[in-house]
Amino acid sequence: MNKDILLAKWLNNDISIKELEELKTFPAYVSYMKIAEATTQFTTPDFDLKSNFEAISKRLNNEKEAKVVQLNPYATFLKIAAVFAVVFASYLYVDSLDTTIETQVAEKETFFLPDNSEVVLNANSEIKFNEKNWSNSRALSLKGEAYFKVSKGSKFSVNTNNGIVEVLGTQFNIYNRENSFYINCFEGLVSVSYNDTIIELPAGHQLKIEESQFISHSNINNDSPAWTTNESNFENVTLALVLKEIESQYPVKITTKNININKRFSGTLTHNNLNLALKSICDPLNLAFIINGKEDVILYAKGSK
Amino acid sequence: MNQPNNVCEVNVYNKMYNEHASAIWRFIYFKCGNSAQADDLVQDAFIKLFQNCAKVAPEKAKSYLYTVANNAFLNEIAHSKVVLKHQNQVTSHTNKETPQYLLEEKEFSEKLQRAIADLTESQRTAFLMNRIDGKKYKEIAVILNISVKAVEKRISKALASLRKNIENI
Repeated sequence: MNKDILLAKWLNNDISIKELEELKTFPAYVSYMKIAEATTQFTTPDFDLKSNFEAISKRLNNEKEAKVVQLNPYATFLKIAAVFAVVFASYLYVDSLDTTIETQVAEKETFFLPDNSEVVLNANSEIKFNEKNWSNSRALSLKGEAYFKVSKGSKFSVNTNNGIVEVLGTQFNIYNRENSFYINCFEGLVSVSYNDTIIELPAGHQLKIEESQFISHSNINNDSPAWTTNESNFENVTLALVLKEIESQYPVKITTKNININKRFSGTLTHNNLNLALKSICDPLNLAFIINGKEDVILYAKGSK
Repeated sequence: MNQPNNVCEVNVYNKMYNEHASAIWRFIYFKCGNSAQADDLVQDAFIKLFQNCAKVAPEKAKSYLYTVANNAFLNEIAHSKVVLKHQNQVTSHTNKETPQYLLEEKEFSEKLQRAIADLTESQRTAFLMNRIDGKKYKEIAVILNISVKAVEKRISKALASLRKNIENI
């Protein structure tokens, strides 16, 4: 057997007696024995189990923290995405908001709806509609008074607190202030529903509803409401309503003294001359008026002063 | 025998550390002779074991640790000379403790140390794993991922080289 391998086997205590005898005949055996014996006495510096374990634990903890830090770029991305989401959501919200058109006292406005229907909004009135959804549902809500020239198309409805007016394509006027709900149809046919009642109003007719009660259904002979030509036309309405209309058309505040404001009035008022308008009211009802300063108007019964 | 089922468990991991850390440390020390470097590499190996604890089966963990430590060692460039401590009780079983004998012993030990430091890294590692750790060739072969024959060859070459070096000096 190879002498070198024999030496290796001897060092591993893996040698037979015969082989050992053979090995002992080598002259160098003594040196090998000395080397073998001396090397078993060697040792390495000590390995500090405890402090190294602590170092490992510490580094593992640091690495965990480092991993958390690594997540931060993603978190930053989320923050940016959140900002965009909020902006986008607000855009959608604003975009879906209703369009509101309102007029102040003594102001009239003519405008077109998305389907080219024309609306003339009388003073001190408000219309709300959804521009985005207009092609799906032609619906708007009205406070005050407006004159509509509706393009032909799908159902067109005007919602008010006093009732709903629905048409297909026509010209009509709605007066909706407080509890008074007057509809004038100038062309076509409108359907008015109020308080569980539906009335079909043909062209050239006027419907009056007050406090959800039917008042009158009468003929009219003009082909557009008087107010669109800067006049207000009244047919058998209360004085209170007439005064309200004055307050809508002129920037004034009207107070009354010893007057029954439920007196009925029929007639036409101009929107351009306060003195003339007040005279038009007072003369037929046997009343007098004083204009105090710019804004105060006092009405009183003639001769009561 | 209670078979540990997951290295991720603290008990299993700690047992692994207590059983193998010192031997792995010496294994690296035999190679590089730098205890600070050996500390670092042992720590690296155990950290890597922890991070991959789910992927490493407990019975494979020991060889995993040796492999990781060895690869890390191979990646490091700086190696220094292996310095071994000589235990003083070397001659306690003999009665020849004359001053001259002790001097000779000391001289021999120093020569032997220098000769060990001059061995190639692979010879020295195998030789010292046998001499200092008392590991059998079979065990060394598994750790170094070589055959027992190859271990025998390295050991016998180491022996021959040591003897030659000592007698020539």
